Amino acid sequence: MSIWTSEYDPDASEIIDQTTYFRLSLGDSNFPIELTEIWWSVLIVLEDISIDQFEEAASKYAQDMLIPIAYDAADRARVMPTQPVTIYARKKLIKKLNKQGNPYHVSSVVLGAITPERFLNHDAESLLLEDLQVDDDTVVQAVIDDGIAIAHDLFRTGATSSRIHHARIFEAEPDVAKSHSSVGRSLDKADIDALLAECTFNGFLDEDLFYTKSGQVDLAQHVFSSVALRQSHGTHVMALAAGHAMTEKCDNRPIICAALPSRAVKDTTGVELLPTVYLAFHILVKQARRFRTKCGTLAPVVFNFSYGNNGGPHDGTGVYAAMFDHYFGENAETYDVEKQKVWLTLPAGNANLRRLHAVADPKVSNGDVSLDVTVLPDDRTPTQVQIWMPVCPVNHQIDFAKITVSAPFGDQHGTINTKIGQQVSLLNTNGKRVARLAYEYVGGATQRGLVTLTINPTSNLEKTRDLAAAGVWNLQICRNDGAPLDPINIWIRRDETIPGLGPGGRQAYFSNSDYVRFGPFGEPLAVDPADSDSPVRRAGTISGFGSGKSPIVVAAYTEKDALMSGYSAAGPLNLSVNSPDPHRVGPDVTAKGDDSPVLRGVYSAGSRSGSWVRMNGTSVASPQVARGAADHIKGSPLDGRAWAREATLIYPFELNGDPTPSRAGAGGVDIPTFEKP
Amino acid sequence: MGSGPENGYNGYNGYNGYNGYNGYNGYNGYNGYNGYGGSAESPMMSQALITNRDGIVGTHIDNIPGVVAGLANSPKNLARLAPSVRAALYQSQLGPSVDVTFDTKNDQPIATLWRRTEENKKRRSVVFDEMVEMTGPTIPQLTTQLNHVVGYARIRPDRGAEIVSQVDVPAAFYASIGFMDPARTPYTLELLYAALGFAVNVTHRMKYSLAVKRPIEFSPQIQPMIPTPTHASLPSGHATESFLMARILWKLLIHSKVPQYNDHAYWGDMLMRQASRIATNRTVAGVHFPIDSVAGGLLGLTMADHIFAMCCGGDWTSTTFNAPNFDPADDLDWHQFYAAKNDRMKKEASSDLGVWAETKQHAPDNNAVDPSPILAWLWDKALDEWKDLDPSSKA
Repeated sequence: MSIWTSEYDPDASEIIDQTTYFRLSLGDSNFPIELTEIWWSVLIVLEDISIDQFEEAASKYAQDMLIPIAYDAADRARVMPTQPVTIYARKKLIKKLNKQGNPYHVSSVVLGAITPERFLNHDAESLLLEDLQVDDDTVVQAVIDDGIAIAHDLFRTGATSSRIHHARIFEAEPDVAKSHSSVGRSLDKADIDALLAECTFNGFLDEDLFYTKSGQVDLAQHVFSSVALRQSHGTHVMALAAGHAMTEKCDNRPIICAALPSRAVKDTTGVELLPTVYLAFHILVKQARRFRTKCGTLAPVVFNFSYGNNGGPHDGTGVYAAMFDHYFGENAETYDVEKQKVWLTLPAGNANLRRLHAVADPKVSNGDVSLDVTVLPDDRTPTQVQIWMPVCPVNHQIDFAKITVSAPFGDQHGTINTKIGQQVSLLNTNGKRVARLAYEYVGGATQRGLVTLTINPTSNLEKTRDLAAAGVWNLQICRNDGAPLDPINIWIRRDETIPGLGPGGRQAYFSNSDYVRFGPFGEPLAVDPADSDSPVRRAGTISGFGSGKSPIVVAAYTEKDALMSGYSAAGPLNLSVNSPDPHRVGPDVTAKGDDSPVLRGVYSAGSRSGSWVRMNGTSVASPQVARGAADHIKGSPLDGRAWAREATLIYPFELNGDPTPSRAGAGGVDIPTFEKP
Repeated sequence: MGSGPENGYNGYNGYNGYNGYNGYNGYNGYNGYNGYGGSAESPMMSQALITNRDGIVGTHIDNIPGVVAGLANSPKNLARLAPSVRAALYQSQLGPSVDVTFDTKNDQPIATLWRRTEENKKRRSVVFDEMVEMTGPTIPQLTTQLNHVVGYARIRPDRGAEIVSQVDVPAAFYASIGFMDPARTPYTLELLYAALGFAVNVTHRMKYSLAVKRPIEFSPQIQPMIPTPTHASLPSGHATESFLMARILWKLLIHSKVPQYNDHAYWGDMLMRQASRIATNRTVAGVHFPIDSVAGGLLGLTMADHIFAMCCGGDWTSTTFNAPNFDPADDLDWHQFYAAKNDRMKKEASSDLGVWAETKQHAPDNNAVDPSPILAWLWDKALDEWKDLDPSSKA
């Protein structure tokens, strides 16, 4: 019989990040090789210490650590109150870093993804980044995505002349002869042009051959990118943001891009891309600073990052949102030499109808809630539910609630309070832990308690001794008497199989019977009905990435009926220290995500030159705004978000249904992209 | 082709080429115009013809004057023959033009395809020149190549429709590049199917000799998305046929001397891309190693020159494929052994392990077999289909 136990686990004490701890403590069957041999991308936050000092302090673990050369001498010498840094490390070191009060001045740890050692290069040599002189009307377009067909003719001005000045491929074996990257490959325009020349025959580019030589696809070595498929996310998105017909010879929109790993590696602990994303931004921010106009100023840059995520506090203080402010916000101090005008577009997210958000709101039903979480069978990755407490300062932590979880079978349940040190695990009849409920306090700007429920995979083809049961798990949140009446917000993290990338997660969701999915005529309800007091909400589904203060966040509409697309996620943000004046109520602006309810998605580039495919979502709306922004950033006196509001007048598109600003922002825009030939 | 198990019960139909893609029976008018309104062998039609004759035959004619003998051994007859009869004649020309022998060297099997020439025309003694010598791969090579097969399995959902559509003759995929249709280019299709019918026999004999195991026999994780054919893996029949078709079509376009085709190597390049994609799709499906396609590509391109020489005379090519020198980490890259510009196979292809492919051009010597008049007739008919219409000629 399974039992819930809160037995003291010496390993689990004084943990900084519970998720990192949980993932590293999963059974061997969840890992492709011996756990201690695995390299992970890890995002750490250094407090009042430089990278050089950190490296020195952790020199005992030099064999288990790789600090990417993307951090140059100036970066390495800089001491800041808090400084996020992406490193590659093995478990031995990560465990040490994930302890409260560690001697390395690491205050935060986010475990990223397993990175095969063959993609790492410990001997890479950094390359001096030389300025590129460009015309005064030049605007750099930066794209971070996955599966970017860098040889596509929409990113070229000629058969062997690319518009891409820098491409970083994270998932590729380093080119040993000339590796200027600690992970994957980095290709400059000259490299890309040389590859284009090498792979062009009788005027035709052999694109299959190109992506083999660029290192993006090596199927025999399990190096996979969706550029091997007809449709790839990054190609579609980058073409919308920055594609121009080759014949246009567009030379004032140079492109820099980074292709994130495709998660091809067997990692059933739940992949976290944040560390790689941080590194990608770090690299591209530096690359962007190479573009100097003839009149001597830095060329403006428009970034697009069409990724979303459900986790985080959703108040602009999360590690995601903080990243954007770190690089692009008002106080972006990483590069204190000369300001460069940078705007960033992000999708609002597609989770509106996915039942991943719930609120324990004392204004409804005294704040106690019961939540059913349906965990699906054949889920090869863990399910994670984040329960975020209201804001409270670190030295006045409040025990807000009693949280109880019960598994689908058996009447036992485990309960914790929202206090430091509280944790409870469900052990199965083999004595293996299959679920864990634990409290931690997230400091920094966030200042909240966080209870994380992690549930093991429900399926594994090799070992089955530590599988969790699929079915309905129940969470009870009971307010403690006298605790403040601010809402407690709950999000289920994204956990789904990405098309083309093999079996992985299956998305768990809230299955409370009081959630009304459909209207009286059977249509899906895109807005929470006024008369429903279900704790499961569409409101507040906005992407964790999109909760930051500075990015332009883009929602999606369907052109034909001029309605918001049902999936397009909505604000508001979680109440924060800034409340009642949060820095946003939802997305900033809405662009086209679908042609019609029948023709879902919009056309953009397929993986091969001359091919066109449909893809939908706020992922495709965001780059359209990036495209428009690139035409205006130079002359606009506004910041990116203010311009986005103005864009509703420059590119007006009238939305039906009177959507609230928390869903549609300032309204619709219809931004022309390329003409298909 | 009739080589796959999908029509293994019905192999004959696959070979003669009139049943598959091209819809000959439906479109080319042989049924529509034959006056019977249906199959000639219909019992009811036969009964009708009997009673019909009884009704009108009348008194026996005694004197039959002035019948001239048929035109002996002349290609002029060909136009009046049923396509299936012509198909048999083409095979009668192509089949005896080659022979396959088997040998071993350093424990590796070697299959050799010989090309017939004549030593003494009076005594009709023939000799053969070596045309394709193919040494089989080693097991460690194939084990390494298996990684490609496993890797390519990831893109099966993307290629599924193509793979299934290409199990049989992938003529539609060439018709989408060169403008072919049974109504417009019946003889081109006939030529291609004749070449394929010939190629099937050759590849099966080569496969049989080399007896290379299929990927499915190496690992239980391949799980091909179509049934694995029972014949051996190398050379790939699909690669042989797809490169053969591509090169014959390219030769037709070149020899048409039509401005839009002539000397524009992108036509040839596109046809070769198609061939390569069809060949690679067999790896995606899980039934072939890339090295099978390399061998098949070399074989098909070489046979295209042979068939052209059988039709029109002129140069032919000999090829050696030495599989053990092919780097098993490599994939199929046809640019290594062929260039569409000038329609030439490259002299040599090598890896760090050594030279794995060599080709040589040969001018016909004095003893060369003359081109086949039957095949020459077919070639001319096919070539006419690619020429622009002459405004000054009569309709």
